[in-house]
Amino acid sequence: MPRTIEQPFDAANIPGPKMAMLLEKGKPVAMAIKKAKHPLLVVGPDVTPAIIERVKKFAEKGLTVVATGNAITKLSQAGINAKYSVLHELTQFLLDPNWKGFDGKGNYDLVLMIGNIYYHGSQMLAAIKNFAPHIRAIAIDRYYHPNASMSFGNLWKKEEEYLALLDEILNEL
Amino acid sequence: MRVLKNEYGDWMVLELRKGAIFVDELRNVSIKIGEVAEEEEEWAPMGPTPFPQIETLRNWDFILLKRYKPFYAPYCDMCCLCTMGKCDLTENKRGACGINLEAQTGRIVAIAVAIGTACHTGHARHMLHDIEHVTGKKLEEIPVDLGPEIAEVAPLTQLITGIKPKTLADLERALRYVEEQITQVMDSIHTGQEGSYLDYESKAFHLGMMDALGKEIADIAQIVAFNLPKGESNQPLIDVGMGTLDRNKAIVLVIGHHAPPAFNIADYIEQNKLNDEVELAGICCTAHDVSRYWPKAKIAGSLGRQLKVVRSGLADVIVIDEQCIRADILYHAGKLGIPVICTNSKAMHGLPDMTRRDPKEVIKYLLDGNPGVVVLDPLKVGEIAVEVARARRKKRGEIKPVLSEEQFMNYAKACTQCGNCTIACPQKIRVGDLMEAAEKGDRKPLEEKWDVCITCGRCEQVCPKKIPIIDMFNFAAWNRILNEKGKVRRGRGPVRDSEIRNVGAPIVLGTIPGVIAIVGCSNYPNGTKDAYTIMNEFASRNYIVVTTGCMAMDAGLYKDEEGKTVYEKYKDDFNGGCVANLGSCVSNAHIHGAAIKVARIFAMRNIRANFEEIADYILNRVGACGVAWGAYSQKAASIATGVNRLGIPVVVGPHGSKYRRAFLGRPYNDEDWMVYDVRSGQKVRIEPAPQDLLVAAETVEEAIPLIAKLCFRPNDTDRGRSIKLTHYIDLSLKYLGRMPDDWHLYVRTESDLPLAKREELLKELEDKHGWKIDWSRKKILEGPIRPYHAGFNPTCVERLFKEGFSSLAKK
Repeated sequence: MPRTIEQPFDAANIPGPKMAMLLEKGKPVAMAIKKAKHPLLVVGPDVTPAIIERVKKFAEKGLTVVATGNAITKLSQAGINAKYSVLHELTQFLLDPNWKGFDGKGNYDLVLMIGNIYYHGSQMLAAIKNFAPHIRAIAIDRYYHPNASMSFGNLWKKEEEYLALLDEILNEL
Repeated sequence: MRVLKNEYGDWMVLELRKGAIFVDELRNVSIKIGEVAEEEEEWAPMGPTPFPQIETLRNWDFILLKRYKPFYAPYCDMCCLCTMGKCDLTENKRGACGINLEAQTGRIVAIAVAIGTACHTGHARHMLHDIEHVTGKKLEEIPVDLGPEIAEVAPLTQLITGIKPKTLADLERALRYVEEQITQVMDSIHTGQEGSYLDYESKAFHLGMMDALGKEIADIAQIVAFNLPKGESNQPLIDVGMGTLDRNKAIVLVIGHHAPPAFNIADYIEQNKLNDEVELAGICCTAHDVSRYWPKAKIAGSLGRQLKVVRSGLADVIVIDEQCIRADILYHAGKLGIPVICTNSKAMHGLPDMTRRDPKEVIKYLLDGNPGVVVLDPLKVGEIAVEVARARRKKRGEIKPVLSEEQFMNYAKACTQCGNCTIACPQKIRVGDLMEAAEKGDRKPLEEKWDVCITCGRCEQVCPKKIPIIDMFNFAAWNRILNEKGKVRRGRGPVRDSEIRNVGAPIVLGTIPGVIAIVGCSNYPNGTKDAYTIMNEFASRNYIVVTTGCMAMDAGLYKDEEGKTVYEKYKDDFNGGCVANLGSCVSNAHIHGAAIKVARIFAMRNIRANFEEIADYILNRVGACGVAWGAYSQKAASIATGVNRLGIPVVVGPHGSKYRRAFLGRPYNDEDWMVYDVRSGQKVRIEPAPQDLLVAAETVEEAIPLIAKLCFRPNDTDRGRSIKLTHYIDLSLKYLGRMPDDWHLYVRTESDLPLAKREELLKELEDKHGWKIDWSRKKILEGPIRPYHAGFNPTCVERLFKEGFSSLAKK
C-alpha cells in the first residue's frame, strides 16, 4: 500500500522497505493514545523548554512518562513526575512481552518517542519495529524517524508548526 | 620415537627420545627440518581448553547469552549478500536462504568483529615481519622479557593457548592459531551456514577472544623488539594537541597504527641531529606508539582531529601506515599540496610503489609536486619523509588559516540555509545556524562546535554552494587550535605483577570500587571533554583508571582549576586514584591481562588454557568496566566483544547503538541471575551484578552513574559493596539529580549500606520498598534478593561447581 514518507533526518538512514507513515496532523496520534490500553511516553535529552511544557501536559493527562539520558533533570525541574531509564535497557525490556512495566501492569502497547538523541532513538525504534510485534511506536519528534510506525516530518526548522502539532494531540486527549 | 600433532592439529612433531637414527643407507632423500621445537616448560598444569576451537567455549558463551540476551537494533532490514536477494527481513522475516533478521544481524555483527580481529591480527603479523627486517634478528632470538616485575608475560596467550612464550617465535605460533580461527569463523558467515543468532554471537565472542590475543602478540612484540616501556610507572609527559606542534620546524605527520616506519623517522631525526629542525607528530595510535619509542614525538590529536590537522595545513608531509586513515586522505592533502607517503600494503591509495627506488629519487619525485608514493620498507621511510618535510619547510612561510578573512565572510554569506549539511551531519550540528551567526560577525558558535564536529566531511559533500565547511570551522577556531596544548603520559604497556599483588585483594573484595578502562575512538556525542570528565571523576574517587587510544589523548587536552591535566594530577600506577595510560589500541590487551593476573596472582587460579574458569572468576569477582565513549570502528567492536567474553562489561556512547547488538540483562527475570554457591552447595538468585555486558548511554551524565553501577559484583564484601553503593548513589545524585531507582537491589545486609546514610536508607527501604527493619538493632529482617555471607563463592558454570576450581595454591 502506498504511504507518504519523507527523507530521514539522517540522510542515509534508509532501513528498508518499511518506513514510517508521515504524520502531518496530530489527531491520529491522539486517536492512537486513546485506543491504547497501556501507552508510554519516552522523553530524551534533546528537548526545549517549550517541548517540556507539552510533556508536562501529557503527564497531566495520565500518560506514563519515562525520561532517558539526562532528560530526567530537566523534567524534574519542570515538576514532572517521570520515571527514569537508560533508553537501551528500557528498549530491551519493551521487547520482552513478559515485562511488567513501570507500574506492574504489564508491557506497553503504544510507545511515543520524543527528544532522544536522533541516531540512538532511531536504532531503538528499529528494534521495536522488527522484534516487538506487541508494540506500536510513534515518533512525535521534530525529525522524521523512518523506523517508527508513524512519524512527524522534519520540522526542526519549523518550531511553531511542530509545537502546534503537539498541541493538537493534547487538545484531542 | 613418536610422531605427534600439536594442539591444533596442523603441525607435525617428530619427537626423538634416547637412541640413534642411521641415515647412511638412504639415497635421494632430502630431510628438511622446519623448526626444532624445545619441550615446553611445565609452567603450570595444562588446563582443559588449549587452543580452543569455535565450539570449545560455546557452553560459556551460552551462559553469558542467557543472562545478557542479545539485543538487536538492525541498521538495515535487508540482506544484500547473495544473488537470491535483496531480501526483505523486516519484522524478523526469513530471506531466500532461510536466515531471519535476528540471525542476519548476529551475522553482520560477527562480520564486523571479524574485520576488527583481522585488523589487529594482521597488524601483529606485519609487526613480526617488520621486526625481523628492521632488527635483522630471527624471532627465536628475541626473548619475551618484560623485566623482573612481570613473570606472567603474556596472560592472554597463556590463558587461551597454554603457551608461556619465551621468545617471539612462541608468540608467532599463537598467531598462526589466531589466523586459522579467523578463517574458520569467516567460513561460517557464508550463505547457507549458520542459522542461529546465538551461535553467531558465540562465534563473535570467539573472534573477540582472538582479537585480544592478536593485540597481545602485536604489543608484546613491539615492546620487546623496539624496547618500548615494560610497564614502568612515572612515564614522561608527552605533548598533545594541535597547538603543541612547532610551526617553525618542518612537520612530519604520521597517521595510523603500525609504528615501525615512524620509529625509523625518529631514528633519522636523532641520527642526523635534526631535533631543532624537524617535528614528528602523530594522529591515532601510531602517535602513542612512536612516543613510546621516542618521547620527543608529539601527539597532534585523536582520530576526530584527523581532518582538522590535515586541512589546517600544519603538516609538511603526511606518512600513513594502517587503520583509521581517511580513505580520501589524498583528496584533502592534495588540496594543500601536502605529499602522502603510504608505508603499508593495506592502504596504498592507488599510488606508485617506489619501495625499491633510491630514497633520493623518491624525495625528488615528491618534491616535484606528485601527490604521493608507496614505500613499504620502513627502513627507507625516515630519510624520505624527513627530507621532503625539510625541503618543503624551506619553501613555505608561516602557517596561517587556509581561508582569508574575506574568503571566510564570503562563504558565510553564500550559505542558503538549505539544511543539507545538518541532515548529512552524524552529530546533527546545525551548520546553517553557525554560518548565519558568522555572517553577522559572531564566530563563537562555529568555534564552540569545532570540537563537537568529528570532521567526517559529509557536510562538504552535500553543500550546493561548495562551502569548505572544515576550513570554516578551522578559521573560526584558529586561536583555539594554536592554544590546544595538553599533556598525556607516555604509554607504559603492561600492568606489573607487583602491582596486582597490591591491588588484587582490594579489587576482589570491592574496597577499590572498580577498574575503569577508558579506551577507544573519538566519535563522541558531544566533544572531547567527556573523556576528561569521565577520567577525572573516577580517578578522584579512588577507582583504578587505565586508558589507551584516542580517549587517552583527548582526556589530556583539558586542565583543572590549577592548570593540571589528569596525567599531571594522578600517578600512572595501576592503583586506586591513579590514571595509567597503557598505550595504543593493541595495548588494550594489558587490560584483559590485568584482570587475568588478578585471578592468577591474588586467587592463585591456574590460568593455563583455562578460559572458562577465569572468565567466570572475572565476571563474578573483578569489578571492572570498559568505557568506549566514542567507539566507531570494527576494531572497537572486536575489542568490546573480547572483553565481554572475559566477563567485563562495556559502556559505549550513543553512536555505539549503531553496532546493532548489545548485551542487556533483564533484572526482573529471576532465572537469568542464578549462580552456584560453592560454599553452600546451593543455587542462589543474585542481584543484577553486572546488569549489562554491552550498553549505550545517551549522555555523559547518564554514563557516569551507569559505569559505577556496572562495577558491582556478587562477590563484593559488605565493606566493598558499601563503598560501591556510596559512589553509585552519589554519582546519580550529582549527574542526574536523583537517587537511582534500583539501588536497593544491591543491598544484601545493613552493612552494605553507606555508613553516613545508613539510617536514612533503611527508612527508605522500609517506606518505599516495604522491607522489614528491626529498628532497635538497625538490622534488615526481610527484603533483600539474598542474604550476605562473607564466604559466598559464586560460579555460573555447573562443571566448576561440581569439579571445583583449578588452584595453584600450595595445599
